[in-house]
Amino acid sequence: MRILSSLANLCAILAGALITLITLITCGNLILRNTTGDSMAGAFEITAMSTGAAIALFMPLSQIRQGHIIVDFFTTGLSDATNGKLDKVGAFVLALVFGLLAWRTTLGGLSAYTAGSQTMLMGLPEWIVYAAMVPPFALTSLIGLRQALFGFDLTTESHA
Amino acid sequence: MTPLEITGSIFGSMLFFMALRFPIAISMFLAGAIGYVSQAGWLPFSNFVNAQAFARFAGYDLSVIPLFILMGNFATKGGISKSLFAFAASVMGGFKGGLAMASLLACAAFGAISGSSVATAATITGVALPEMKRHGYSGRLATGTLAAGGTLGIQLPPSVVLVIYAILTEQNISKLFAAAVVPGIIAMLGYMVAVAVYVRLVPGQAPEVDNDREPMTMAKVWGVLPILMIFSLVFGGIYGGLFTPTEGAAVGAAATLITAVCKGEMTLEKFKECFLGTATSAAMIFLIFVGADLMNAALAMTQVPNQLAAVVGSWGLPPLAVIGAILLFYVLLGAVMDEMSMLLLTVPIFFPMVMGLDFGMPKDMVAIWFGIMVLMTVGFGLIAPPVGLNVYVVNSMSKDVPMAESYKGVMPFLVSDVLRTLLFLFFPIVPLWLVGFIG
Repeated sequence: MRILSSLANLCAILAGALITLITLITCGNLILRNTTGDSMAGAFEITAMSTGAAIALFMPLSQIRQGHIIVDFFTTGLSDATNGKLDKVGAFVLALVFGLLAWRTTLGGLSAYTAGSQTMLMGLPEWIVYAAMVPPFALTSLIGLRQALFGFDLTTESHA
Repeated sequence: MTPLEITGSIFGSMLFFMALRFPIAISMFLAGAIGYVSQAGWLPFSNFVNAQAFARFAGYDLSVIPLFILMGNFATKGGISKSLFAFAASVMGGFKGGLAMASLLACAAFGAISGSSVATAATITGVALPEMKRHGYSGRLATGTLAAGGTLGIQLPPSVVLVIYAILTEQNISKLFAAAVVPGIIAMLGYMVAVAVYVRLVPGQAPEVDNDREPMTMAKVWGVLPILMIFSLVFGGIYGGLFTPTEGAAVGAAATLITAVCKGEMTLEKFKECFLGTATSAAMIFLIFVGADLMNAALAMTQVPNQLAAVVGSWGLPPLAVIGAILLFYVLLGAVMDEMSMLLLTVPIFFPMVMGLDFGMPKDMVAIWFGIMVLMTVGFGLIAPPVGLNVYVVNSMSKDVPMAESYKGVMPFLVSDVLRTLLFLFFPIVPLWLVGFIG
């Protein structure tokens, strides 16, 4: 779990750096626009693309911290052991879903690459975002699989 | 299978997976996948999934969400809550139940820079709960007040719930935020009245006379100035046409960080925690987006949501009765389901239905008004038993108060919620008044 956990942290740090970058670019662009009157055309495309990559990079850590909301209303009467087993099944299904996302996003990225899809104003190639999404999706799938087989190492965190 | 049966099985399987404690987002994804594949086959489904993550994550409109969450996290870790509560306690200290009212004022002010209800509840509880206990407030009133106060985090702009509603229904975020201002202030005042009435009707919940009152000082006023400045900067900029909501969120995050650093509260460790907290919350919300997206695509294929709108329209029911029924449905569904997931799942179905009804108002106003009505039920669901997320959060921070006591404590606020919802239901002008001033 330690390697998976370090990788997940690394992803989150990368995502944090991207979000910081967005903040800086946005603020810089705003200052330019409201002072000199000129600004970077299409800065919003960088924001959208970086957010896309950042959100995907947030996924592994969220799974390690069991950040995804579950409904425990129906199973409060069951024993902790039974609920624990159900949670492992849930982690396994999540692993399958992220496996599917990793696989299909790879194909989506390949077709964006061959089609040469670009953003409208700045001409940023879209496949880069797909490429940034696949590793964290695959990692999230592995984390889910690890949790399904060996349980959850870290305690549950509350989500905001 | 008929379209209606397919719809039934999509919803049925989602509920089944949810009951098995699968994450809600995954339950929706699975139910949506089953519905999609059974109607259209594997190939169209797999093509849909190819670009789904990109389409959902890499959108400019959606980038406002992680930025507002980050801003809220900086505010949470930045020690802003302490100065807020100190100021509020001096303002409200003279009233009976004054510290409870001060908590509500602090929640509202914090909610003006945070878009999350749980974060607002947790942050203000951290400073207000020990003070209320020290002054002899009952655990019931203290936890109930803070759980209800937390909902002001989403009732006042910025509000993550409203951003999601705006994206789902393609409405203007700035207008929705403007529409939330008056209802948010009324919510705060209504909660204060609830406290005032409750401490008089039920003895022993708050001290009779609070002799330990802190006087107002200039230092306290200085303490809250940064919050006022951040709020004015973000919303002044958005409404002054200087920047978009996403840019506003980025500016707000930067300004809140600078405030926290200037206060000497932001260590490297806390800075890291802000990002990790943002990671968990944003990942949770966006995964629900993916699941709800797929499920809505599968439901749209059955044509049932469209037909539903037509059928309900043809019944000729009074439009207000339809809205009332939808709100009631939300309250019931919100009792077992997380509010965010509930919105993502049901707004695409109910919205066309509502837009098909004639309220004697322009359509864009109906859309904004319905958003505020939906927001009311979300706030209600966050504190109403059996599963009120805010009550859980506040109660978990107050080990000596039994859960049942906290739920008793939120009752006066639930009454206030119901009255406020009825007010906006019958007088849409109250939320819409401010929107009229925006171009």
